[in-house]
Amino acid sequence: MSEQFQPKVVAFLCNWCSYSGADAAGRAQRKVPAELVRIVRVMCTGRIDPQFVLEAFRQGADGVLILGCHPGDCHYKEGNYKMLKRHAILEQVLSDFGIEKQRYCLDWVSASEGEKFIRVAGEMIETVRALGPLRLPHTAESKETAV
Amino acid sequence: MREVQITKDLVVRLLQVIEPRFDIEKVNKVVLNVGSGLGISEAVLRQWFASLTKGSKLENVAVEIVATEGQEISGKLVVSTAERVGVFLCECGPNLKEALDFPALIEAARLLDNVVLVKAFSLLCSGDGQQGLAEDIKTNQLTRVVIAGCSPREHEHTFKKVLKQAGINPYLLRIANIREQCAWIMSDKQQATDLAALMIKAAVRRVLVQEPLEEKEIDICPDVLVIGAGITGMSAALALAQKQRKVYLVEQLPCIGGKTVRYEESFPNMECAPCMLEPKMDAVLHNERIETLTCSDVQEVLGYFGNFEVKVKKRARGVDEPACIGCGACVEACPVELDNEFNENLSKRKAIYLPYPGVLPNVPVIDKAHCLRFQGKECSLCEAACAFGAVNYGQDDEVRELKVGAVIAATGFDLFDAAPLGNLGLGKIPDVYTSLAFERMMSASGPTEGKIVRRDGSVPRTIALVHCVGSRTAEHRDYCSGICCAYLAKFARLIHHKLPETQVLSIYSDLCFPGKKMQPFFEQLIRETNTHYLRVRNPNALQIGQTDGVLEIAGVDVEEQANCAGGTLRREKRLNVRADMVVLAPAMEGSRQAEPLSRLLDVPVDGARFFIEEHVKLSSFATARDGILVAGCAQSPQDVAGSVAQGVAAAGMVLSRLVPGEKIQLEPAVSVVDEKRCSGCKTCVDLCPYHAISYDGEKHVSVISGVLCRGCGICVAACPSGAIVGQHFRDEQICAEIQALLK
Ligand SMILES: Cc1cc2nc3c(=O)[nH]c(=O)nc-3n(C[C@H](O)[C@H](O)[C@H](O)COP(=O)(O)OP(=O)(O)OC[C@H]3O[C@@H](n4cnc5c(N)ncnc54)[C@H](O)[C@@H]3O)c2cc1C
Ligand code: SF4
Ligand code: SF4
Ligand code: FES
Repeated sequence: MSEQFQPKVVAFLCNWCSYSGADAAGRAQRKVPAELVRIVRVMCTGRIDPQFVLEAFRQGADGVLILGCHPGDCHYKEGNYKMLKRHAILEQVLSDFGIEKQRYCLDWVSASEGEKFIRVAGEMIETVRALGPLRLPHTAESKETAV
Repeated sequence: MREVQITKDLVVRLLQVIEPRFDIEKVNKVVLNVGSGLGISEAVLRQWFASLTKGSKLENVAVEIVATEGQEISGKLVVSTAERVGVFLCECGPNLKEALDFPALIEAARLLDNVVLVKAFSLLCSGDGQQGLAEDIKTNQLTRVVIAGCSPREHEHTFKKVLKQAGINPYLLRIANIREQCAWIMSDKQQATDLAALMIKAAVRRVLVQEPLEEKEIDICPDVLVIGAGITGMSAALALAQKQRKVYLVEQLPCIGGKTVRYEESFPNMECAPCMLEPKMDAVLHNERIETLTCSDVQEVLGYFGNFEVKVKKRARGVDEPACIGCGACVEACPVELDNEFNENLSKRKAIYLPYPGVLPNVPVIDKAHCLRFQGKECSLCEAACAFGAVNYGQDDEVRELKVGAVIAATGFDLFDAAPLGNLGLGKIPDVYTSLAFERMMSASGPTEGKIVRRDGSVPRTIALVHCVGSRTAEHRDYCSGICCAYLAKFARLIHHKLPETQVLSIYSDLCFPGKKMQPFFEQLIRETNTHYLRVRNPNALQIGQTDGVLEIAGVDVEEQANCAGGTLRREKRLNVRADMVVLAPAMEGSRQAEPLSRLLDVPVDGARFFIEEHVKLSSFATARDGILVAGCAQSPQDVAGSVAQGVAAAGMVLSRLVPGEKIQLEPAVSVVDEKRCSGCKTCVDLCPYHAISYDGEKHVSVISGVLCRGCGICVAACPSGAIVGQHFRDEQICAEIQALLK
């Protein structure tokens, strides 16, 4: 097949730093090299229920990216630290599900780091592209039969 | 028809289609697209569906089965068809029209459930655009609106207003950011268009499950809390009171005036400091709109701009202020003696004391840690000595609950502690003093009544002043306090005035005399007095010792330096001087009380305990927390002129923004606890960064204050019972978006 695999990556961005960072990238007309992550805005990474990440994978995401304010800069003071704690648990849960750990990533992007947003989002897409489509163990069979 | 194997996998897929993981209230119908290649009969499917949804919210929902090709099962939940969604695309002038395939986007949006109108505008945020939008909402009886255009951070508030005007709740709006986060960031037009279509679909799905929220307004309180009664806090309080504001001026010490009132004279005009301050202090104490609370500490600050609830603890003075005339008879009678910290420990005071002569308010205070009576011993000498019955051992601490609309932190500075730097001799050699101690020595109200004398009573023939102690060095404080050169020049001038025969050695590495007055002051000092400036490489590296009562100061001079072909040639000279007295000028730091206060105020301090300002130039007197301002040396080291200017600026900011009678809008997108689901575990209570959650002991549930909550959602994600609803960012809303972005 000549068609390149187009990864579906859901990105949760906190409203204050990272969403603004993505806006700043656009405003500066910085371009992502290929596909863009699919952005879901939340007020703070502290709002991100691990269920959302699982839901994204269940709905067919090939990768999930979470971007928040740098540690110490959370608009609500400590939301990103709360996320950081959940992050460790999430990594464990995902690996239990057989999801490669590169498919899930947490990083910090400030409102002025448009450049960093482009880089992190771009790298995530390429990492996931290299891994190929996500095949959750219990849906693997169905995908095969569906082809 | 062949028998279907009901594989685990098929069940999983069906479950994915139908399982309402999150509360979806208005599902009208479930549409299942079933690949005919699977060979499942409709009857079997319905049976399956019924068994799988039994007892769930979907139990009685209509099921429509659509046969498709292949072997896939997919499906969707159809939410209330009564909703009429309008999708408005903004071309943003030429910006988006060229970058995206608009006809394709319009076509795709038309096919979405519940969408009854799709329309493109050339500039939706313009006056015409807004008007057109309002009209379309009304004529098409839209119930929800999706706008595809620029970032919600640009114009969400504009379009919310339009919705309100057109008669729908502003929270039934969703913006698809197809400009910054799509057209402008992607290079390929086709890819960008595909993403934009996806974003519009996600916005439509989400808006369908959004809830109307009610906007509330509340009254503001125009009163103001000022913390710290130094020159900064007093200036702010007086400016506020002038405009009829009630001010609570809270001071931790028994007296007002801050540091400045304890100086003899002040640069740049060598004005008598107490004379300059006293009229202000009087004005503060006699102003009926300013309530000065001395011996007081702020204990709690809850709330937000316009409505803060503050608790202040007023420690009992032990003397009734109205009854006391300040005669000091009680002080005379007290048998206890200890170091007087108000004179930098250069003199003694009693356990009941006036910090220094002329102090305001002129009312003694009992130091309970040292009073015999409070140590359980028999003594009532001061009570007996008071002819006015003012001494009151039974006076209680008092906790005041105040309501204010804004807070100004004017907590001033403290000096860097130079004692641990053993090489400078502070704390070891008696005649090494800090600048604040030397100020007291020179002051007529101080320990020596203004006489400059050594500990042994002799007059110093040579006094060394050491600049930059702990300043401008990565090891301690990396900044320049900006005023120490100026006050050391003031010291030299005063020494010359009091002891014309005494020589002053000012030991520095760099000099800083900014502003319109200080350079001429310095030059005149050099011309007219016996003051010598000695340059050393690093004042912090000086070795100060003492032999036979004479202080010896050794260091490295940097005077000789020459450039030659091979590089820089530096001839180091050793500095070796003797003095009878040394005065250190340590770095100014934020008040030692700033750190605990910073936690109460929720405004951070930096490593040197200065409050972090909102913007270092444009709003140095505001902080990141709306309604909390900072002024004077609490923000940065500065002189009296700068402190007063900032105090008045902060007051002006309050006066212009906190207008009596005006109301403040509350953000309705806050979190609420569903009492039925809350198990009372209290997990959330300590998590909230704004102390917005309390526990209702009667109902055994947590309650969120709609006024304090800022809607961050931390508690929502943390509640183990799923009992907290993050309004406008509900689980089902976020999940609707996730689903739409992927399928
Ligand atoms: C040695 C020396 C000499 C100086 N000489 C001059 C001079 O000649 N001319 C000049 O222009 N400037 C001079 N300055 C600078 C001057 O002292 C300051 O600009 C001025 O004191 C700043 O006033 P302030 O009100 O901000 O702080 P401060 O004077 O420090 O007053 C702060 C007040 O807040 C109170 N406080 C602190 N924390 C709390 C709390 N948590 N709760 C309640 N109350 C609290 C303190 O007790 C104090 O009363 C000199 C500085 C030094 C160190
Ligand atoms: S965390 Fe949830 S269940 Fe526990 S007290 Fe708070 S709202 Fe109630
Ligand atoms: S949403 Fe945030 S601010 Fe509101 S109650 Fe929960 S934790 Fe506190
Ligand atoms: S607001 Fe950005 S992580 Fe909390």
